[in-house]
Parts: sequence; C-alpha cells; structure tokens
Amino acid sequence: MILVWKLLRQHISVPQFAGFFLANLLGMLIVLLSLQFYCDVAPAFTQGDGFIKSEYLVVSKRISMVGAFNGRSSSFSQADIREIREQKFCKSVGAFTASQYEVSASMGVEGMGYMSTDMFFESVPDRFVDADTENWHFEPGDPVVPIILPRNYLAIYNFGFAQSRSLPKLSEGVVGMVDLNVRLRGGGREEMLKGRVVGFSNRLNTILVPEGFMDWSNRAFAPGADTAPTRLIVEVDNPTDDGIARFLQEKGYETEDDKLDAGRTTYFLKIVSGVVMSVGLLISVLSFYILMLSVYLLVQKNTAKLENLLLIGYSPWRVGLPYQVLTVGMNLLVFLLAVGFLVLLRGYYLDMLLLMFPQMEVEGIWPSCILGILLCLGVSVLNVYAIHAKVMAIWRHKG
Amino acid sequence: MDKIELKNTLPEVFALRDDIQSDIWHREVAFERGHLYLVEAGSGTGKSSLCSYIIGYRDDYQGIICFDGKNIRSNKVKDWVELRKRSLSLLFQELRLFPELTAYENVAIKNNLTGFKKRRKIEEWFGALGIGDKMHEKVGRMSFGQQQRVAMIRALSQPFDFLLADEPVSHLDDENGKVMGEIMMEEARAQGAGVIVTSIGKHIALDYEKTFRL
Repeated sequence: MILVWKLLRQHISVPQFAGFFLANLLGMLIVLLSLQFYCDVAPAFTQGDGFIKSEYLVVSKRISMVGAFNGRSSSFSQADIREIREQKFCKSVGAFTASQYEVSASMGVEGMGYMSTDMFFESVPDRFVDADTENWHFEPGDPVVPIILPRNYLAIYNFGFAQSRSLPKLSEGVVGMVDLNVRLRGGGREEMLKGRVVGFSNRLNTILVPEGFMDWSNRAFAPGADTAPTRLIVEVDNPTDDGIARFLQEKGYETEDDKLDAGRTTYFLKIVSGVVMSVGLLISVLSFYILMLSVYLLVQKNTAKLENLLLIGYSPWRVGLPYQVLTVGMNLLVFLLAVGFLVLLRGYYLDMLLLMFPQMEVEGIWPSCILGILLCLGVSVLNVYAIHAKVMAIWRHKG
Repeated sequence: MDKIELKNTLPEVFALRDDIQSDIWHREVAFERGHLYLVEAGSGTGKSSLCSYIIGYRDDYQGIICFDGKNIRSNKVKDWVELRKRSLSLLFQELRLFPELTAYENVAIKNNLTGFKKRRKIEEWFGALGIGDKMHEKVGRMSFGQQQRVAMIRALSQPFDFLLADEPVSHLDDENGKVMGEIMMEEARAQGAGVIVTSIGKHIALDYEKTFRL
C-alpha cells in the first residue's frame, strides 16, 4: 500500500488541494455557524412559556382615544365570547377574571426594609395554566395563595429599583422562597394571606392566581360585582394562521402578546440564516467541484500508472483507495476543524447573547454537528464513488 | 487454469482482410498448462493484440477465447483481477514498469499482492541477471535491457498457470538472454505452468514444444 501511495502521489498539486481545503473549510464553517446561530438565537424569541402554551393567545379590545372618552366598554360581552368561540381557528376560550376588591401586598425581608404596594389579581380557567396541579391550587381556608408573576416585574425590580436603591438583586429562585403578605379588603371584610410566587411568565402581563382562589375571593369580598372580562385567553390550532390576524383586525381586537412579533423576528432570523447557509452551501459545492477537478486531473495525469497497476493484478478498488482515503481524510479534517472554529466563534457570540437574554437556555452544538457529519458523509460518498467511476473508466480504456 | 483456447479468433482490425495466413487467427488453437510454446510473428500481425486479449486488457476480437472452456467475455472485473493476480503473468513488450520506483520496488509492488516470493529469492534473481547492484536504482535511469530483466523478475513474482513473455529478450545479449530463459523455465516448471513466448525474430533458445506462425 505504501508503494502504491508512493506511486500515485505523483502529480498531486498541493496548491489545488490547499485551495479545496480552505474553500471547503470556509463553506462548511459558514453552513454550520449559520445553523448553530439560528438554533442558539431562535429560542430567545420563541422560548416557550412554562405556564402558557404557545397555542394560547391573549386577546383584548383595543383601547382607543374615543372609547376612553365616551365610556365604551372595553370588556367582552357574552355575545363577543360566543362569536370568538364559533371561529374556525378557535379551540376554546377562557375569560380573564379580575379581582373586584382591594389587594395590597407587602414583603419584609430582614435588613431590606419593608415594601408594600397596592395591586390586583387576575385568573384564567385552570386548564389554560400549565403548572403543577399540586402547586396551582387553592381551597378556601388555605393559608397560602400561589401566584405567577410577569417576568418583566422581576427585571424592573432588579435593573431599575434594586440598582438605584442599592438593594440586592433577586433571582427567580429566591423570589420563590419569599412569602408575600397579601391583604384582601372589600365588602366590609379584610383578610391576611400568604402569597407564594410559583413561577414567572413572559407571556402574561398580569398577576395570576388560581381560578379557585378568584371565585372564592370575589364572592367573599365583592359579592354581586360585575365581572365581565376585559381579556380573553383563546386556544387556537395554529397561532401563525393568518385568519386569526384578519379576524382580530376586523373586530378591533388585539393580542397583547409578543408572540406575533417573535414570530416575525424568528421568520426574519430564519431567512437570514437560510441565505447565509445557502452561501455556505454554495461555497461547499464549489469547493467540492474544485476537489473533483483536482482528483480528475490527478487521475488523468496518473492514468498510465493506474492502468499498469490494474494490469499487474490490482483491483480497481485498491487502485482508487489512496485517492479515496486522501479525499475522505481531508473531508474529515475539514469537518473537525470547522467544528473547532464553530465552538470558538460560538463562545464569542454566546457571551453576548447571554447578556441580552439572561434566562436563555443554552443547548449543545448537536444540530450543527449532525449537519456537519451528514455533509461530510455525503461529500465523502460522492468522492469515493466519483473516484471509483474514474478508475473504472481507465479499466475500460475510456479514462 | 489448465487450458487457453482460441476458436476462430481474429482481431477486429483484420476482419476485412481476406489474406490471413496464420497458425492462430481464424483457427482452433489450444495452449495447455505445463507446455512451452513459441509464437513467431512479423510486425503488425497482431502479436501484442493476442497478449492483450488473453490478459483481458482488450476485447476487440471476433470469435471466442476460452479459459478452461469458459468464454472470457463473460469474465467480471473481479475475475480478471483474480486471474492477473494468481493465474496469468505477462511480461509486457512495453514492460509497463514504474519509472518513479526503484527496480526492487517495481518487483515488490507486484509481489506484495500475494507475498509469493521471499525477498531473498528476488535478490538472488537480480544477482543472477547481473543487475544486483541496480536493485535500488530508479527504473527510469536504467537501460531498456536492464528494465527488461526487472520486468521479467516482476513477472515471475506471482503464482501463475501461464506465463506470457512478449518479446522478452529483444534488448538483451545472448548471454543474458540465456540466463533469463533458464530462470523463467525453472520457475515455470516449479509452478507446472505453461509458457508462451512471442518473438519477431530474436528469441531465447529453448526447447519449444510447438511453434506457431502468427
């Protein structure tokens, strides 16, 4: 084998192969990097919310200047709800129920002073909330109310309030461990309860409590008050269905959800990544072309040697093997180097991303590794086949 | 393999000629294992074509060529590879050596396929043929006569049932030709092989059992 290699390496053009190597490395790196970047960044926009599934949209009526002055109600009537329920895209509808009494919450942590604020609660039917039923449960008489807060609140506290008052920053875990003192007052009654934050949501801009708690508290503190909902939660088949957007537009409803924005951003990201990946693929294809040309040229220049080897009893596979090993080896090396560079470059942008989206979960580089392996494998199989075909052409004197 | 038969075989380029006077073309001829044949030919009578057909390099002939009764047109690539490796050895007229390799490497590249001959035996042959000092010289720098001897050693470094020597001594003096003939026959006898020598005039003096005029 060593002798065969010694013979067949004649006429190998180092510049040609170096050219292929660099071009292929660049192409592969661009392809892998664009995929990896997409995989890394997309979740920052589309990250599912632990508590509200992505098929749920939160719908409210648009609050217009005119409406604000002429007192037109921004709440949904039963007829409105029925109409939405009858839409094709709608699987089910739930109403947001707001607390009809006074709520104030206070939090006292030793050494941090005492903070108190007026606030409100809202609830949606429990089937729309994707939390542990054990945590997300309230029976009249329970001393603790589970609460889901908007993640923004924590950000506002950490980056606005705590920063300016030199208070310690709180992580989600710490907040979950602190009990809030919740005071409910209305209808001539007053009661103190403990509140526990069981989670944070990106998609619900409200302070959410279990349905059971809301039913009980509204009955107890504001009997007979009007509870027409101002926001609805709608389960749909497919949130990207443009029929939904049309219907909402027509009725003057809006979704307070950033889902659509995120959808647009993801779409844009997809396009950009797709374009970049196509460029990478194009470079890869061209580099493959260079390699095939180089190998063909090499085989052409060594035709006499290959033919002699065949005539003294070497099989076509054995004669082609050195070139196959050479190209497959280069493909492998390119793949490994590309992954190495990918990890290096990813390190740079990941730091930046994590600064921008601290709650982002970082996944591994498997998607791009798998793509890289597939590319490498595909190209190698083509190389091996093309070289064998070329040797067979020499066998048949058509080389 | 015991028998090579040619049945009405004729190179396609001769197909339109009507003056073919030959002991081989357009006849029934059989070469058998263990025998020594001489094929004498003038230029342009298809001597190299005959070798090319038998080694499976070309198939531009009419008629049938059979190995042990099997038409060689039905041979697959792997059949030919096996035949060239273990049954048929050809000393090419144009030698087909690799000028980039040394004389020894040229032999080794063949011998490595089967590991048939020990290095010592090969060195012995180099010595006997008077090129022992050229073993590690690049073949490209050797004279044609020297290359012819290297090619013969290579042809002997494999198991074979038939050895085709296409003008083996065209560039050798009588003394070297004689030594080469002895070595060739010694190896062929050891293997019980048939030998077909071609020549366009000058040929090794051997006890040919049958001579064909091509």
